[in-house]
Amino acid sequence: MVYWALISAACLTASAGMAYRRWSNVSVLMLSLGILILGAVGLIGKVTTALIPGVYALTPLGSWFLIVLGVVATMSAWYRWGYGDHGRTSSLWLPIFLVSMASVILAANVWAFLTAWEAMAASSFFLVTTDHHKSEVLQSSYIYLVMSQVSAMFLLAGFMAVSSQLHSYDFAVWTAHAAALSSSTKTLVFVLLGLGFAIKSGVVPFHIWLPRAHPIAPAPVSALMSGAMIKLGIFGIMQFALIDLGVTSRALPIAVLAVGAVSAVLGVLYALMEHDLKRLLAYHSIENIGIILLGVGVMGVGIDWRQPPLVVLGLAASLFHTLNHAIFKTQLFLAAGAVEKHTGTLDADQLGGLIRTIPGVAVGFLIGSMAISALPPFNGFVSEWLTFRGLLGVASHSAGLLALYGLGLAMALGLTGGLAGLCFVKAFGTIFLGEPRKQVAHDLIPGKMTSPILALGLVSLLLGIFPQPLLRLATQADPQATFSTFALSGLLVSPKTLIIAAVLLVGTALFAAASRVWDVATVPRWSCGRIPDASMQLTSASFTKAIRTTFAVIYRPHRELTQLGQHVPDFADRLVFHGGTVPIWERHVYRPLYRLIWKVSHFSTRIQAGPVRLYLAYLLGTVGLMIAVIH
Amino acid sequence: MFLTVQLTGILLIFVGSPLLWGVTQTVKARLQGRRGPSVWQMYRVIAKNWRKETVVPEYSSFLFRLAPSVAMAALVAVLVMIPMSGEAPSSWPHDLLTVFFLLALERFWVGLGGLDSAGTFGGLGASRSSTIGTGVEPALLAAFGVLWKVSGVSNIAPIAIWMKALPGGMFAWTLAAISFALIMLVELGRLPVDNPDTHLELTMIHEATILESSGRLLAMSQMAMTLKFSVVVALGWVVLGPHTSSPWSNLVLLLAELVGTSVALGFAESRFTKLRYFQLPAYLSIAAGIGALGFLVMSGGFSL
Repeated sequence: MVYWALISAACLTASAGMAYRRWSNVSVLMLSLGILILGAVGLIGKVTTALIPGVYALTPLGSWFLIVLGVVATMSAWYRWGYGDHGRTSSLWLPIFLVSMASVILAANVWAFLTAWEAMAASSFFLVTTDHHKSEVLQSSYIYLVMSQVSAMFLLAGFMAVSSQLHSYDFAVWTAHAAALSSSTKTLVFVLLGLGFAIKSGVVPFHIWLPRAHPIAPAPVSALMSGAMIKLGIFGIMQFALIDLGVTSRALPIAVLAVGAVSAVLGVLYALMEHDLKRLLAYHSIENIGIILLGVGVMGVGIDWRQPPLVVLGLAASLFHTLNHAIFKTQLFLAAGAVEKHTGTLDADQLGGLIRTIPGVAVGFLIGSMAISALPPFNGFVSEWLTFRGLLGVASHSAGLLALYGLGLAMALGLTGGLAGLCFVKAFGTIFLGEPRKQVAHDLIPGKMTSPILALGLVSLLLGIFPQPLLRLATQADPQATFSTFALSGLLVSPKTLIIAAVLLVGTALFAAASRVWDVATVPRWSCGRIPDASMQLTSASFTKAIRTTFAVIYRPHRELTQLGQHVPDFADRLVFHGGTVPIWERHVYRPLYRLIWKVSHFSTRIQAGPVRLYLAYLLGTVGLMIAVIH
Repeated sequence: MFLTVQLTGILLIFVGSPLLWGVTQTVKARLQGRRGPSVWQMYRVIAKNWRKETVVPEYSSFLFRLAPSVAMAALVAVLVMIPMSGEAPSSWPHDLLTVFFLLALERFWVGLGGLDSAGTFGGLGASRSSTIGTGVEPALLAAFGVLWKVSGVSNIAPIAIWMKALPGGMFAWTLAAISFALIMLVELGRLPVDNPDTHLELTMIHEATILESSGRLLAMSQMAMTLKFSVVVALGWVVLGPHTSSPWSNLVLLLAELVGTSVALGFAESRFTKLRYFQLPAYLSIAAGIGALGFLVMSGGFSL
């Protein structure tokens, strides 16, 4: 009853906020805090509580995701104070978006879930189209809407497959009885739900909507979508495909692992080629969803092989990375929003040297970069460490080629980590360091925008140094409590985060003090005797040239050099360089698919000609056929 | 007992690292028919730079000044985690995966420091060292594949004795050792990957990232470079090398192995020429492939 009062109070504030726009941000903040508190209460309570019996229930796993949502929403609401995005669109749709996401997590039956799911898709669609006067915004958000619908249809099919077997729409019944379903039903349900949730999470190859939809929204909305919304796909896979179904066909979790590895590696590879900061961050969401899926896959493999250590490891790794990614991705998106407010652009090749004009944002972005690159002593390090341990656990619990597969996955994760580090050295270096590449505006930004970014950095650091209490809670998120008997205590302290952080922080301080870093003189750069200027710095394209050459199979890079003003042959006045990569998924998968759908729908116009009597005839024929089949 | 040995080892390696650099340089010089500088040369270079005025390029920020210290702290953290006496008690941090993350931290900051110099060479060096770094971690995971397989955990522990007892163990051990040796050269920036002696701007990698450094910052970077040699080599020896029952003799053995590797590196560097930068992915894949093969041998070959 307490929970319900909390939620309804939050909803009331939200609706009050819609009426009085000036108060909208207060209401969003109240709502976010309410979600956060509800999640915390549920996680500490460790039992499933019905909020409205049969419609909404608070599960331990759901509580974790409520906390994820609450953290992102609270920080975004705080940030909106300075960001000043109080237009009609976001004031109206943001509370609805938050409430629908919370309802997805709390839903206790199919209808509550799908209603909330569709409300979430619709409200996020309207939030993405905030700047709907731009034509590319409409096009991108239309792709997002179509993908959302496809996802919802797969989910509906998957849910129907379960409920037709169990004769119940109640998720509690599913949790109790779905494990007894036949193996073929389980496979069907796993594949359908997996596809539906994977599309919503932006897993490769269903990722094409994500780098289009996330960047065009206002920064707090981008943060909510990347930090919280796509995680609900992970929630769905964990709850319905792994925990409910239990032991499935052995190949399925192994396929999840493969999908995770492909998403992780391709996501970061595509991110490397981006010079638009928000698109780069959106591709990193795909990468991190891949890393989370690797943890989910470890959990699934553990369930199938009946290895409780692997289950707990996978559960802890994926849940903790979900939270960590929400924290540092929110931080990075909010910092990107600050950069956009400050300079009016997000193009890394026009920026540079922002660390001198907005140092607070720069420090926040640096911490976020280190956390997302899984560097100690920040939180990304702990969850990637757990994921590594899970994958190596898969490798050491199996033999032969399957073991090699486990090692290969760990290597893919290692490659992802290295590439992410490279990508964020590039992003941070080109945007915040060096000399400005172009003359851009340097509008003042309010300090209210910087403080949530730095606060998130502090959370990252604290979770990186003291992850154990939260990890312990994460391992208890399994409602059946089958696996919590396994003592994780030895494992959770294994990286000794506190000692490492102490050595790093004290060591850095000591060495910096010893080398008296403040006592320096400034001189011009070395430029081989020429006059130094901004163009001698590397751009984001030249920084990743070697990666583009190495992974040419994936990128299909092309370049074009045009000589302008041919006074003397071969000595042009100006050279114009155009380079780029080919979006292979769009060209080789989605465009043919689009053409096929177009053809099919064109063909269907032949039987769908318009006369009403024809449709009546179809109706009659269908009913007749049904009666004939049933008898 | 463990703590005494460990602290002695940390101190000796921290102080002695520049000497190893000198040993390699002396061996190389002798093989080239030169007398070469004294083995203590690196200490003199560091001391000279430490006393000089420190200047930083314009447009650089505090990151440029902090980068050598962070790199140094990361390497010290790795040094602390290597069990000098063989096996560490479970209360001591000695996790191999964490070492990889710490090495990534060092690369990240060296890259940032390079870009923060706002010049061409710093950026080139940052791009090159970070790009090579992306391949190092997966390759190291493969090279230590036998460790995960044999021990089931990621602790830094001597595994040579266990491997001897297992069927196919020595073969897998050899593959792991070859793989590690190849990757070690990449991680240390030695030939055939990077030439530490060259100062030709277009070919160098690590030297380019610290081209703008001077004075105490340069000295710190040079100390970090020599320390990195010791920790990476020591890591390989502790896991794959021989192991005795006494902690003190293990420490002495480790120090002898470090000096021996420096001498061997001098011989090896006189035999190789530098690889083209764009051939490095192939080099790293071969190293990783050898390591993965060793892992496959330990996990029962081609079966499902």
